[in-house]
Amino acid sequence: MSTQVDPVTTEIIRNAFIAIANDMNATLIRSAFTPVIYEGKDCSVALIDDQGEVLGQSLGLPLFLGNLEICVKLIAEQHGWDYFKPGDVFYMNDSYMTGTHLNDSTVIMPIFHNDQRIGFAASRAHWLDVGAKDPGTPVDSHEIYQEGTRWGPTRLYDGGVARDDVIDLLRRNSRFGDALIGDLNAQIAAGRTGERRLKSLFDRFGVETIRAARDEIFRQTETRERQAVGEIPDGSYVAEGALDDDGLGNGPVPVKLKIDVAGDSMQLDLTGSSPQARGPINCGLTQTIAAVRVAYKLLVSPDVSPNGGSFKPLEVSAPDSSVFNAKEPAACGWYFTPLGLLIDLVIKALAPAMPGRVAGAHYGDSMVITIAGNDPRNGDQPYLMIEPTTGGWGAFDGGDGANSLINNVNGSFKDLPIEVFERKYPLRIRRYNIREDSGGAGRYRGGNGTYREYEVLSDSVLYLWFERAVTPAWGLFDGGDARPPRVEVDVPGEDTETYLKVNAKPVPVGTIIRSRTGGGGGFGPAMERAPEQVRADVLDGLVTRDAAREQYGVVLGDDGSVDAQATEAVRAASA
Amino acid sequence: MSEFRVSADIGGTFTDLVVDPADGPTFVGKVATTPDNPARGVIEGVQQLIPNASEINFFVHGTTVGLNAFLERRGERVLLLMTAGSGDSYSIARGNRQTLYDLQYRKPEQLVARRDVHEIGGRLAWDGEELEPLNHDDLATVVDKVKSEGIASVAVCFLHSYAHPQHELEAGKILSEALPGVSITLSHTVAPEWREYERASTAVMNAYVAPVVQRYLSSLEQQFADLGMGATVHVMQSSGGVATAEAARDKPVFTLLSGPVGGTVGGVSLAKAMGRNNLLCVDMGGTSFDLSLVIDGSGTATTETELEGLPLLMSILDIQTIGTGGGSIAWMEGEGLRVGPHSAGSQPGPACYGRGGKEPTVTDANVFLGRLGVASLLGGDMTLDLDAATTAINSLADRAGMTPTALAEGILAISNAAMADAMRTITVSQGLDPRDFSLVAFGGAGPMAAVFLAQELDISEVVVPNFPGTFSAWGMLQTDLRSDQTCAYYSPTQSVDLSDLEKHYQALEQEGAEALRAQGVADEALSFERSADMRYIGQEYSINVALPAGSQVDDIVAAFHESHERRYGHGSPGAPVEFVNLRLAAFGALVRSDFEEPGQGGGEADPVLGERQAIYGGQELPTPVYDRLKLTSSHSLAGPAIIEEKSATTVVPPGWVARVDDIGNILITREGSQ
Repeated sequence: MSTQVDPVTTEIIRNAFIAIANDMNATLIRSAFTPVIYEGKDCSVALIDDQGEVLGQSLGLPLFLGNLEICVKLIAEQHGWDYFKPGDVFYMNDSYMTGTHLNDSTVIMPIFHNDQRIGFAASRAHWLDVGAKDPGTPVDSHEIYQEGTRWGPTRLYDGGVARDDVIDLLRRNSRFGDALIGDLNAQIAAGRTGERRLKSLFDRFGVETIRAARDEIFRQTETRERQAVGEIPDGSYVAEGALDDDGLGNGPVPVKLKIDVAGDSMQLDLTGSSPQARGPINCGLTQTIAAVRVAYKLLVSPDVSPNGGSFKPLEVSAPDSSVFNAKEPAACGWYFTPLGLLIDLVIKALAPAMPGRVAGAHYGDSMVITIAGNDPRNGDQPYLMIEPTTGGWGAFDGGDGANSLINNVNGSFKDLPIEVFERKYPLRIRRYNIREDSGGAGRYRGGNGTYREYEVLSDSVLYLWFERAVTPAWGLFDGGDARPPRVEVDVPGEDTETYLKVNAKPVPVGTIIRSRTGGGGGFGPAMERAPEQVRADVLDGLVTRDAAREQYGVVLGDDGSVDAQATEAVRAASA
Repeated sequence: MSEFRVSADIGGTFTDLVVDPADGPTFVGKVATTPDNPARGVIEGVQQLIPNASEINFFVHGTTVGLNAFLERRGERVLLLMTAGSGDSYSIARGNRQTLYDLQYRKPEQLVARRDVHEIGGRLAWDGEELEPLNHDDLATVVDKVKSEGIASVAVCFLHSYAHPQHELEAGKILSEALPGVSITLSHTVAPEWREYERASTAVMNAYVAPVVQRYLSSLEQQFADLGMGATVHVMQSSGGVATAEAARDKPVFTLLSGPVGGTVGGVSLAKAMGRNNLLCVDMGGTSFDLSLVIDGSGTATTETELEGLPLLMSILDIQTIGTGGGSIAWMEGEGLRVGPHSAGSQPGPACYGRGGKEPTVTDANVFLGRLGVASLLGGDMTLDLDAATTAINSLADRAGMTPTALAEGILAISNAAMADAMRTITVSQGLDPRDFSLVAFGGAGPMAAVFLAQELDISEVVVPNFPGTFSAWGMLQTDLRSDQTCAYYSPTQSVDLSDLEKHYQALEQEGAEALRAQGVADEALSFERSADMRYIGQEYSINVALPAGSQVDDIVAAFHESHERRYGHGSPGAPVEFVNLRLAAFGALVRSDFEEPGQGGGEADPVLGERQAIYGGQELPTPVYDRLKLTSSHSLAGPAIIEEKSATTVVPPGWVARVDDIGNILITREGSQ
């Protein structure tokens, strides 16, 4: 029978698995060439065992949670486990396998110890450019061939020998080939760190002990997650919403889900969601599973480091050729847009079952604004400004939602300071503030969205990817819905135009762009919010006096204090 | 009449003192910290050690007054003025999440409420061009509010002031004239660096703690004057240098993290004296575990840090908190045994403190295993409760299905492995290998865990310095006066005008020299270190590169590539590089004494205090207990051995050998390695 292992050794090995993943992550971030990795942390690493189960994962970009091991298993399914040799380094980015867009590079390295396969070091990182028709990620692609070169699992190192011709092919197919190679090498360096550390752990404890500890760690994790799921009342939970469009004007795009909870397991089905779209909002099933795992983790096990025992109670299915299970040649450049909505909807569906853990919906998507042109201050050199925009988060039992916070599927994004922005681009930020009244009202108030006003200082073009006007952030338990996003463009001498998505609109000097992102949903009835809290919100400029009266039934006197009698009357009338 | 140099490190529980007499061996003291007025504890401690305060010719201390005011949110109400259109950059705080799996995320709590952030009309472009003049009416509104609401502190942060401070200066003049007695902090004087949120946050922190720190320093100075001390009161700064109380009052934010840096400065001094270039400095107390690095003989510094999520731009020694020390609690999560991250803190503290703690901690395990003597804390002033520790260990052992001994050793094994893992990750992220370091252990609990950490990290030498329990205070006596100056300087290296660069540095040196002369530094004691924040053109973030005077462009660029390579594992020689900020550290050398021969007790005295049973690897072994003060360089102690002194206990497990070097450090190495 199997080796017995004591709790102390098990715990040391469990900590070591996580530490090895952290060291891999530190190596990747230290060595990466592009800021989207070393600043934005748009990356993730995992240490995986010989059968493709996670031993330790560093909590990087949430959307990459629990999907690297699926890539390992996919390769094994295609080719068998004996396909992996010592010294191999695999690269893959095929959206239908990895689930994500082609920019995301997955690197997998098998680890051997005394000629025996003991695991894998895997990482995923966002590469700046993989040769799409436009720099970065096009907003109007309609098949994957426009989005860059597509790779199934491909050996970049074969038994320890670099395949220079293949690596050269990668380099040549990027607008920033040197940076791409730099980032690839950082991923390989991360893998080597994992390999070295895992081997020394096997040296110290031996194969038998580590496998016994691993089984025990997985068993404990699974037991705890099953307990947590078991506490959710059995039943069917449903939610639905829609994206505005697919980026090419086709919409709305429905997203529909049903969660069946029975005992200690749950099954999530996406039947009824949109067939795969013509625009680039599709993703592979692997990434859909990862997104559902994010929602599951947020609700069921936020504090637990994931491993091979995680997610066992969860099963995910999505119809073939849907936006969530896209097939060739679906475009996948903006794969994360439906996933943001999916995560919010999982939380909405389960809200009645776990009211203390949920929150109202957040503003929903990355709300990306891109302005490109030439900079006259700099010899008319081309410039490219791409920035996601923050927005409001949902309120929850015990707290208001955060104002102006980056969306759930992003990593450690920070906005660009005005001082950096204005020095870097021929653009000016005229105003950057929290958008009052944009969060959903509630006993706990939804966070407010963001207002950012740009002035164009040299002739440029504008791209916008704003979402969630059709399904703005909803409140929970009678909390109010939030306001949707809106972008206004004032070209000198023309009428104001309003957009959410736009592709390459010319914006001459003097154009003013006013972007507003949505707020988060409220929690609980607004009429139950303490009047003093409403007054504080008015003092802080988060809620206007009018909204205080109309949405919260709180009347403030001329001196700003709560008029208790009038408030009581308004609230009584609304009851 | 004797002369004494004195340092004091005010910690959460104890205030440590170190006295360095002009003629005689160093001695130390420890008194309880007096949180209501920390100056009282310092004065009491000094009085105990040096009855005649007029004999003190130098006094330096590290204070947590500012930090505590911040942590307990007891600072002044601050009004923040920002450029019209940009005021919310403070509340938005760059919009990022610091934890990624939290549906109910709250941003770090800011020190200024949104209602107290006021936008002031007036706008400069990035290059300093005035797009709109400063709006005096907006300022008048603020002046009225400050007066009518009795606000004591105002911070000002206008866009682009890091390079173009004209509007801030103009506003500062108007405000100080209209508001006498109100503390005014202009962001460009505290942190002349771009990024308006980070700069505003730094200015706000300064404004928030300024009145508290100023009151405290004045009170301390007064009390010392009453005792007849003629020496100037000095304060440790986060940068690792010291400043006079006068200078510290001006920019109290620089003293915010003044306590723990003493240990790093001590480490640098130790590195020099021992001829070791690379040290991992581990400062482990009852409830904290801090790590700092000495690399190539210098402390590692950074120009930016965060406190409870709030950013601060300032020169600071890089100290990483990686655990909770002896207070970490062992517990069962389902069927798994865990140690930490929860800590028993100092209240109730570990079970063995006898203050009502019921859960077993790392310290309880050490007591249970006989490694920590029940009367060994504070030279016997504090007695530990072995029964309480045993009860706590037994109870968890029952639940875990283990013997108490196995559990106690297990708690230490898990905790040591986890701390070593965290230490390794920090070194890996800087491209370093812990095996290239000696491990220096101090703080009350450091020397007990040191060898076990070294074992985990495959480090071959452990150093326990003299007076490890008061090492941070000792380090404060090993430093110089320091003043930091910064200016923004954007220029590609390719087109940089070296004479212009030199002019800027000379101007910074002037400022630094003036700041130090004002603190009584003579010209011959002045020295300067130049550095620059540089980056590849197109990068967002820069790295700081040392730039000796007279450097040529090629040297500068080569130094940058090399630093980049070391920090990130790769450089791009040939890629264009630019300057971002110029930095200058001005130093005023202070006199300090040499390391001295240890063993005040005399080499003839028997160092053995006694023997107790201690457990290693499940085996109970008779372990001799030595008195550190009686050890000399002639002794060589094979493990198992325990070395006790007033402020710490050093554990030498089987397989390791301890000896004393010629400046009194305990060196512990693997048996047979010497």
